[in-house]
Amino acid sequence: MDIDRLKSIVGEDYVREDIADLYIYGSDASVHHAMPQVVVKPGSIEEIREIARYANSEGIAIVARGAGSGMSGHAVPLKGGIVLDMKRMNHILEIKPEDMYCRVEPGVIDDDLNRALKPFGLTFPPSPASSRIATIGGEIGNNASGIRSVKYGATRDYVLGMKVVLADGELVNLGARTRVEAAGYQIHRLMVGSEGTLGIIVEATLKLIPLPKFRCLGVSTFDKLEDAGNAIADIISSGSEPSMLELMDDIAISAVNTTLNLGLPEVEAIIFFEADGKVKEAVDFEIENMKTICEKHNGTITATSYDAKERTKYFSGRKKLFAALSKYKEGYACTSLADDMAVPYSKMAECARKIHDIAEKNGVIMTAYGHCGSGVMHTKILMNPNDKEKWEGAQRAVEEIYNYVDSVGGVTSGEHGIAISKAPAWKKARPDLMKVMSKIKKALDPNNILNPNKLMDAPDNWYTATQIRYDVKK
Amino acid sequence: METKNLEVWEEEMDICIRCGYCFEGCPIYKEKRWESDGARGKVILAHGLLRGDLKPTDYLVQKIFECSFCRDCIERCSANVSIPDILSAARADIVSNGYKNEEHINLLKKIDETGNIFGEKLEAPYKEGEIPVLLGCRLLERKEDSKRYIKMLENLGIKPQIYDETCCGMPYAVLGYKDDFAKQQEKFRERAPQNKMICLCTTCVFFIKKKYPDLEAIYVIDEVYKRIFDIPHKKLGMTVTYHDPCNVARGMNMVKEPREILKEIGVELVELPTNGKKAECCGGGGGLLVTNNPLAEKLALNRVEQALKVGVDTLVTLCPTCEFNIKNAAEKNNKNLKVLNVLDLIAEAVS
Repeated sequence: MDIDRLKSIVGEDYVREDIADLYIYGSDASVHHAMPQVVVKPGSIEEIREIARYANSEGIAIVARGAGSGMSGHAVPLKGGIVLDMKRMNHILEIKPEDMYCRVEPGVIDDDLNRALKPFGLTFPPSPASSRIATIGGEIGNNASGIRSVKYGATRDYVLGMKVVLADGELVNLGARTRVEAAGYQIHRLMVGSEGTLGIIVEATLKLIPLPKFRCLGVSTFDKLEDAGNAIADIISSGSEPSMLELMDDIAISAVNTTLNLGLPEVEAIIFFEADGKVKEAVDFEIENMKTICEKHNGTITATSYDAKERTKYFSGRKKLFAALSKYKEGYACTSLADDMAVPYSKMAECARKIHDIAEKNGVIMTAYGHCGSGVMHTKILMNPNDKEKWEGAQRAVEEIYNYVDSVGGVTSGEHGIAISKAPAWKKARPDLMKVMSKIKKALDPNNILNPNKLMDAPDNWYTATQIRYDVKK
Repeated sequence: METKNLEVWEEEMDICIRCGYCFEGCPIYKEKRWESDGARGKVILAHGLLRGDLKPTDYLVQKIFECSFCRDCIERCSANVSIPDILSAARADIVSNGYKNEEHINLLKKIDETGNIFGEKLEAPYKEGEIPVLLGCRLLERKEDSKRYIKMLENLGIKPQIYDETCCGMPYAVLGYKDDFAKQQEKFRERAPQNKMICLCTTCVFFIKKKYPDLEAIYVIDEVYKRIFDIPHKKLGMTVTYHDPCNVARGMNMVKEPREILKEIGVELVELPTNGKKAECCGGGGGLLVTNNPLAEKLALNRVEQALKVGVDTLVTLCPTCEFNIKNAAEKNNKNLKVLNVLDLIAEAVS
């Protein structure tokens, strides 16, 4: 690796090769860890093009990294090489309220963009839970979405176009600035969710929508998990338009109550439902409809409110769930494994039960919660991360859960992407996809330098794919 | 490297899910912009030291010590991980393994020799009274101010006992000198006339609350808040901005009290863009003033510039170290900002 050459491209201040930096940039929010050889912070498209030309000629891996908040190992450099820290390219280039789009550099943070859009009454709505630090480049790479995806969809629904540096350094301008486009391959759409394996996103044109004027949150408790699952399926099939539909199971409720003392009712399930819009009567209509459906399925409505403070209070149990799970049991850590599968609505309750059974059988703790309005079931595996036996149990649990998800027509990842952690299960579930994806990869990145060994090229065993970031003792 | 201090924190490091929320507001990250400068990066380094993956090189050690312990990371953490405690343990292990920093050693030598961070014989304005009052090194050095603050306590109906105090030991603890801290703790306890005291210094009070479970440290602002509304006082009729010290807002959850006191004594407050629990750190804590003084000054200058931008000519704060650091940054950079302690205003109001 010619570090001096990289320094000459971006300047000495923007290159780090000390082991301390490499160690940090070898990690993200997944369980994996692998070190790059150098970290570079490019400041311009031209610099990225030059880095790509150099890396491509030498066969050196490039991993573009945003906030490093991915949970499946997207930013973990499996083949070493160069990590491109894109956070320096963090400028909002243009906001065009009259045309309802904006252009941004990839390192712009989601919340920063939404703060800038607010005075115009506009929003970029995918907002994953990590929007406070997640970069737009990372969100596009991962096709991120969040709690309101049931109404607003995922990042892919808001990417009109982008500039991408290809593996050989070529710069291409993809997509358009218009709402519709019927002009050739929709390659910008292919880039969304490609996890940095097809190109380096250096600019994005994003569709914007108006901010809703009214928002109302409702809470319903259920003595039976199955009733909650049926209510979710019924709400969606009734044609209702929730802006959020969240489920918490009894383990999640217990975790929040135990660690944060929130005093949530100890029932088998809680559903949080929300509607928003420009006209209050329309929001009222949606809320009433969802209340009626919850009650029809033996739910008890414990609260509804338009008030922002009250909504925050009611939702705090769900919002703080992650913190609660992290401190659920002494000696246990909350690991990002089997954490975001999606299943058909009608299978929500069954899926939650299945998760509990599989966890118990394999000696780990798992909870079920998530954006059920979008079919996303979030889980986390809680276990002593230093205990090798627990990891063996976790591996079995992960495999069994994904086998179940596949058997009911679900998908390995609804939100967090495939990268390393989910690749084995996904490859097993979708063998038909692998060949065509490999052909696309080969066409755009023949030397396999862009985030190599991810997705279809990832190792078949996620546990041995990298060093596990926890100190696993025998 | 031996890691007996870090071993205690292994579970806490495992609880960290590396979401990265902590570098959103990290003052050091915001200034330097490498992930190794943010809280998550530093926890990963500490974990690397514990696992034996990393060695305490000068570069790594500098990263571990470049933290102002502002606790912003704790506020933002998904999992409530106590990051400053992890870094304190890392610092203690690094020092136990022979790391020496001349600036740190000089500072601690001063405390060894004189009982205060200035290395000078500082005489307290002794006074018989009912409740011991701890001034703290920085106020002990500001003799005239101290006298006014003592008078302020008297005017509030408190009978302060001023005694021959010594440093609470915070610098030893944050700079990783655990054994020396234990010795200083002994000295501090020996000097304390009672097992409770009113503390004027925010750093001391927060530290004593945490590290001396056998002592009752009462923060002066709690006492003022209890009394100010019921005793006659002047309305000062001035406009200021208020810098929330990290130990006060985040450490002791005290956000409304200083604001209500200022309002009560006729001081109009113009808020800084970041305030309360989300207030930016001035860089004065965690030993950063000695580890990387220019960086501490730069962070303080950010606060100075923010204050001027909100259109005031006076910034008040509660922490004597924040006050020193911000005032120093304003003076060195020729910024026309007056920096005062809230106690100055209270003292004037009740005089």
